[in-house]
Amino acid sequence: MRRMLAPGAYRPGETLVHGIDARVKIVALLVASATAFAAPAPRGVVVVAAGLLVALAASGTSPRRVLMALRPALVILGISLLANGVVLVGQPGVSVEGLARSATAIVRIVIVVGLALVFSSTTMPPAIADGIAALMAPLARLGVPVGGLSTAVSVALRFIPLASEEVERIRCAQRARGARLDEGGVIRRLSGWGQVLVPLVVSLFRRADELAAAMEDRCFTGEQTSMRGRLARGDVAVLLGVAAWAACALLA
Amino acid sequence: MIELSDVGFSYGTADVLRGVSLVVRPGERVVLLGRNGSGKSTLSRLVNGSLAARSGEVAVDGVASTPETRRAIASAVGYVRQDPRNQIVSPLVLDEVEFGPRNLGLPREEVRRRAERALEACGIDRLRTRMTDELSGGQQQLLSLAGVLAMEPRYLVLDEAGSHLDEASRAVIADLVRRLVRGGTGVLEVAHGPEALFGASRVVVLEGGRIAWEGLPDDFLRSEGALKASGLADDPLVAPLAELVRGGGMLGERPDPAALAAVLTGSDVPGGEVGRSGRHRLELRNASVSYDGLVALDDVTLACSGVTLLLGASGSGKTTAARTLAGVLAPDAGGALLDGAPVSAGEVGLSFQRPEDQLFADTVLEDLSFAPRMLGLSPEEADVRAHEAAERLGVAGDLLDRSPFELSGGQMRRVALAGVLAAHPRACVFDEPSAGLDAPARRALRELVSSLAREGVAALVVTHDAAEWLDVADDVVLLARGRVVARVEAKEAARSPELFRAAGMEPPLLVRARAMAQGDSHA
Repeated sequence: MRRMLAPGAYRPGETLVHGIDARVKIVALLVASATAFAAPAPRGVVVVAAGLLVALAASGTSPRRVLMALRPALVILGISLLANGVVLVGQPGVSVEGLARSATAIVRIVIVVGLALVFSSTTMPPAIADGIAALMAPLARLGVPVGGLSTAVSVALRFIPLASEEVERIRCAQRARGARLDEGGVIRRLSGWGQVLVPLVVSLFRRADELAAAMEDRCFTGEQTSMRGRLARGDVAVLLGVAAWAACALLA
Repeated sequence: MIELSDVGFSYGTADVLRGVSLVVRPGERVVLLGRNGSGKSTLSRLVNGSLAARSGEVAVDGVASTPETRRAIASAVGYVRQDPRNQIVSPLVLDEVEFGPRNLGLPREEVRRRAERALEACGIDRLRTRMTDELSGGQQQLLSLAGVLAMEPRYLVLDEAGSHLDEASRAVIADLVRRLVRGGTGVLEVAHGPEALFGASRVVVLEGGRIAWEGLPDDFLRSEGALKASGLADDPLVAPLAELVRGGGMLGERPDPAALAAVLTGSDVPGGEVGRSGRHRLELRNASVSYDGLVALDDVTLACSGVTLLLGASGSGKTTAARTLAGVLAPDAGGALLDGAPVSAGEVGLSFQRPEDQLFADTVLEDLSFAPRMLGLSPEEADVRAHEAAERLGVAGDLLDRSPFELSGGQMRRVALAGVLAAHPRACVFDEPSAGLDAPARRALRELVSSLAREGVAALVVTHDAAEWLDVADDVVLLARGRVVARVEAKEAARSPELFRAAGMEPPLLVRARAMAQGDSHA
């Protein structure tokens, strides 16, 4: 089977960041993302960028993967850089000030993407689901079905590779019957995807149905024993470190 | 004790089960046989409380199955399904096994303890930290079983749990189930083949929603009527097994090739019956394929004319080879040839295990005429081809205007096959075509493939059910780790267990028995 690891997919490993509790990582990611946008340029941004470098190093993530993850956004980022840098009205030319402003914004975006990548490639999907549930636990008092939500997230994460596998098989079967899915203009290609979509939806619904029945067979009601322990000392230290770093960046 | 007394069930107005009474005691393994649509799955779902009987009563250890006792029944009766991928909830192995006990509200330490115990019992404790979709089909099914065992059920329902697995994985699961039964678990096993008979306490045959026969496995093999009602008469392993017990032999606890060898005669060795001239030829020449640095095919050269079986353990590159041959996967090096010319997508028919993967048009007729139209035929000619194919596969005329997704499983499969044949391909690739089919349907499929071969079509069958395809095959190609380890005539493979072992596979029982019948004591 063809197996392509998406840039943000979980990569098994035993780095420092892999070992941090998912709850701490979620909170740290939220704090760091807010900081990346709020920190004053240029000194604050430099502090935030330094934080990203530390995170990349501690998680064994290569900067190249960050660039790969950014690839889909490259065009938009490039356009925004140009739009801010090139002045067409008044005195046409290149505005250094605009370029700098735009470059700073792009750096902030790159930092957030990098941090998100570090998070998603070091945290197992069920741990993410579990962490989200833990952080939302107070909402349970308001009647939010937190347990069900966390299982839904976990199942959704499991279905992503299944769906892509399914798409691949359906396309194979159809191409073998002469369907030309990769040829012709945009319209033809799009309508070709329609042919894939119908069987895909049918098959995913069927599988979802069966999975739901299998979950019920295993007594799933939404209420589950929580497998979370207390935070370790190291985790608390990480949390404090992130808070101190965020304060530095904001006050720089 | 699981007790069904005079149980009836219907979907809408269609009766699925009528007057079924059945008992499964602790420490007993009851095998439930029957053709597709005989009500086996419905019966097994009644037993674990996920369906409620329309009439009669279902009780587990004295607790009657009602909507209120659904949870209690489900926790007492574990249920393992056919397709492991549709019952795995979590992306992570350990988390998957903990899912059941967590739902029972057990304390954290107890959940951990049970999960570890179940992983160990299934022999997959070393996979604990792996991702579930990285596992092979056999490992996934063991994981499903572990997930159910962690709930410590008193009874177990296996709904054709081995039908998507290869011989070796089926043997591992059978051993595990045997141990559970010895430990006092009551098992109801829905089966589609005769392997389940070994060591069974009782056999129950369902036909048209009623119990047609019930008794001991040896008596089942002696009864023509029971064999016919269950559809198993069409399974190639059944005839020698029946001869064995009729001759006074015993079926025994587990498959015994030596006992079976005694009843096999030379005439049991199959062979291709047609000459080679006038046949089309599908080839793979020096093909290599790798995915992200992982080698799936390594310089593979093979040829197929007549019926060729492509066998191999899971992960051996079978499916990659099949797709390359069908022209839908471009190899990194080498290529696929049809009658000496490079294959392009659409020239070679490709059929998958699940028919719904292949259907996409709005109506059956459109679906059947799709491939001919893509070949450039006029709409009228394409319609003629579609009707011909429909007739050949027995697709009734009144289905042609329906949506293919409204059809029943069996009808859908016929439409999918007809859609492939409508293009009149010179070669066809069948990827796991028989998994999940009952014995008569599997036999019909084998007959279809051999009749195609007689017409000159090169037919490649990728399968984990080597035993039943050997009889209709001309050649066998065995793959292991992306390389061809053997290319032999089918009648050679049919008595050479060592070939299977060399490819890292478990040789089928019939192959081992034939080798023994010919005096090879290593079988």
